[in-house]
Amino acid sequence: MDDWVIVMMLCGSLFLGGIALIGFMWAVKNGQFDDEEKYLNATKFDTVEDLNDAVEKERKKEELRKKIYKPE
Amino acid sequence: MIEDNGHYFCCNGCQGVFHLLSDEGLDSFYDKTADIKLSPPTEQYEDSSNFNAPAFYDKFVKLNSDGFSEVSLIIEGIHCSACIWLNEKALDKMDGVIEANINFTNNKANIQWVDSVVKLSQIIDMIRAIGYNAYPYDASLQEVHANRERKDYYLRMAVAIFASMNIMWIAVAQYAGFFSGMTQELKTILNIAEGILATPVLFYSGWVFFRGSYYGIKNRVVNMDLLVATGASLTYVYSLYITISQHGEAYFDSVSMIITFVLIGKFLEVISKKNAADTLDIIGKHLPSEVNVVRDEKIVAVKLEDVSIGEIIVVSSGEKILLDGLIIKGDGSFDESSLTGESEPIYKQKGENVISGTISIDADIHFEATRDFEHSTLSNLVSLLESAINKKPKIEQLANKLSEHFSTVILLLSIATFFVWWFWPHSFEESLMVAISVIVIACPCALGLATPVATLVGLNLGAKKGILFKEAAQLETMAKVDVLLVDKTGTLTVGKPEVVRETLHKGFNLKLLYSLVKSSKHPIAKGIFNYISKKEEDISEVVFDEFTQISAKGIVAKYKSQIIIGGNRKLMIENNIECDFVSDETLFYFAIDNELCGVYELSDKLKDGAQELVLNLKKKGIETIMLTGDHDKSAKKIADEVGITNFYSELSPEDKLAFVEDLQKEKRVIVMVGDGINDILALARADIGIVMGSGSDIAVDVSDVVLLNDSLDSLLSAFKISNTTFNLIKQNFAISLVYNAVTIPLAMAGYVIPLIAALSMSFSSLLVVGNSIRIKYKWKRG
Repeated sequence: MDDWVIVMMLCGSLFLGGIALIGFMWAVKNGQFDDEEKYLNATKFDTVEDLNDAVEKERKKEELRKKIYKPE
Repeated sequence: MIEDNGHYFCCNGCQGVFHLLSDEGLDSFYDKTADIKLSPPTEQYEDSSNFNAPAFYDKFVKLNSDGFSEVSLIIEGIHCSACIWLNEKALDKMDGVIEANINFTNNKANIQWVDSVVKLSQIIDMIRAIGYNAYPYDASLQEVHANRERKDYYLRMAVAIFASMNIMWIAVAQYAGFFSGMTQELKTILNIAEGILATPVLFYSGWVFFRGSYYGIKNRVVNMDLLVATGASLTYVYSLYITISQHGEAYFDSVSMIITFVLIGKFLEVISKKNAADTLDIIGKHLPSEVNVVRDEKIVAVKLEDVSIGEIIVVSSGEKILLDGLIIKGDGSFDESSLTGESEPIYKQKGENVISGTISIDADIHFEATRDFEHSTLSNLVSLLESAINKKPKIEQLANKLSEHFSTVILLLSIATFFVWWFWPHSFEESLMVAISVIVIACPCALGLATPVATLVGLNLGAKKGILFKEAAQLETMAKVDVLLVDKTGTLTVGKPEVVRETLHKGFNLKLLYSLVKSSKHPIAKGIFNYISKKEEDISEVVFDEFTQISAKGIVAKYKSQIIIGGNRKLMIENNIECDFVSDETLFYFAIDNELCGVYELSDKLKDGAQELVLNLKKKGIETIMLTGDHDKSAKKIADEVGITNFYSELSPEDKLAFVEDLQKEKRVIVMVGDGINDILALARADIGIVMGSGSDIAVDVSDVVLLNDSLDSLLSAFKISNTTFNLIKQNFAISLVYNAVTIPLAMAGYVIPLIAALSMSFSSLLVVGNSIRIKYKWKRG
């Protein structure tokens, strides 16, 4: 086996692993793991209704943001 | 049971919550709770409009970058994930609320809303309406800092673990090649890959060690961080040199392993540290912001700090009393539970004192401030508590003592090895390699893991027996204790007095006495109630025309034309009733129309295991001292029964605190066990404060250990667990030291090959972890 095969395999696997690590670090920084209990419980409440609520919430936030926005 | 359309409710509160949720379309909450039993909503006395006061907004409400108002609240009454769901959904549905985010682990909520649409008081009302309660806290203090530190560790550990795992499989290839032979080119490729992985571990994950050693050097202390930092960076530099010069063995795997193992140990310490911020938040709950004062015949809201002595303060029902004073107009009941722990409302009228920190339930009063805020009961209590928490002594841990010597010795040995080899004579390069291998093999991993792993096992053992240690380090401190201070009522005794003797006179009416004591929640009245209920099974009750409870004295009632009085000696003397009964026990007098017609003697029972506890601790060389606020006679009686020779009676909370401080001056290590408000100062100041789980909220907050099942057996178990853990820590240190004693001479003689270095590192760490787990199983079987 040539050395370049090893080099390629090392680079490939470290690259993929690195992407996963960066993804994980982004999630931690973003606060997605701040509440370990809730994070695990979320699967229980993940229904269509909850997704609709989440969309509704975003919409409401946007609306209220416009409402309190006063151009200088 | 209340029936309502096929649904059954235990009380009106639950029924109300059910209808509210149905109307909001949130009744799927009941499916989500599954088997969890819900407790009825608690009654709220405090008026929510307090939350709209400008002073409150100044202190707790912040405007965020989007222009939304934001507040941090602690939600009370959450017991499962469905509760979180319900609170978040109910708030999200409110008009004007942008986002409600509740953390399940610590019940803290962050709420954002538009203040022009909805007021904070409405948000609080919603939380209360669905059966919970909320109070604000200042999140900008230590909590944010603590969370940031924890997150920082997560990130550093993620990088270290990821890199170490990858380095290990590359290292396997290298070890295989070491024995079966491989080309130098391949070796260099593997070295480069390892080097790339080890770099972020050393400089990013290992940053905490560089920082630690910098502060160590600044304070002229050789700490473990210095050993880790020098060991890891010297090895790193050496391995870089090997990789570039393309001969010899690189040790990148050691670099990342040392950092990862010790970092995990450090992280375990960080997560098991008690969050002092949480304690102060809960005390802060009792600190309000402004009061209504009569000035120039007008009622104006004035900041607490600006009220001077003699000013008239107006309080209406549902409001909190913020200053101490004397009632000059009005009367009504007060809830003093947050200060005294007594859950029963207390009636007060003109001429009586009101205490800051209590809540008016139905009283509309005017009172004259007798002290300013700075000197009020509430403010005194809070500042005493804060200083007690801050002054709590820190017993130096074995790990810190040991690692200082260990690190110094290893660094000196390594330097000596280098010079001996260099002058022997060997090449500079070879001497350096041997010197570095001494540091590498004297792996501090096992040493770094010794305490955290052992204390984690101890915390776990405690949790299973209903003993909550709030901080890992307390296990070690508790093993060094030589004095146990115990409170009497509720700690050594059950706290529920029972009737031991009754003396009845002419005119005694059991029915009236039964009705009188039934209406009171006082422990003595309860004791008599239980006694009568046991004696007479089918006794009926009468309805009084008037009924008044007098705090710390008793009860006065009117039935038809008769005046019925039940209570202590003070109450009898006030009403000119003759009573010259003598007894060691607590006495309850009962009189009809100013004629004494019954005397009850009550005595508190000892808790199970009280004598064994004192005896066992004596064997261990721990002195037990009883401190009580009770009078001398009853204190002596209990002390004699339990076998305590040393006791102090009639002590105020401040006396107890002073007692603890005096003992600490003699360099004694103290455990204080208590349950009530009167113990909190001593609990906070003692080296270890242990509280019964049923104790008052503040007492639970300031203490270090909570005994959930209130039993004295678990107190003894807490001592046993801490001793076991401390022994475990010592064993773990012994293991890692013996290991070093064997491997360091080998390294100094230059016999260490990379394989041995790596194996020794993993093996000593595994031994330490294995030894700790062994204890866990031993306890399980025992």
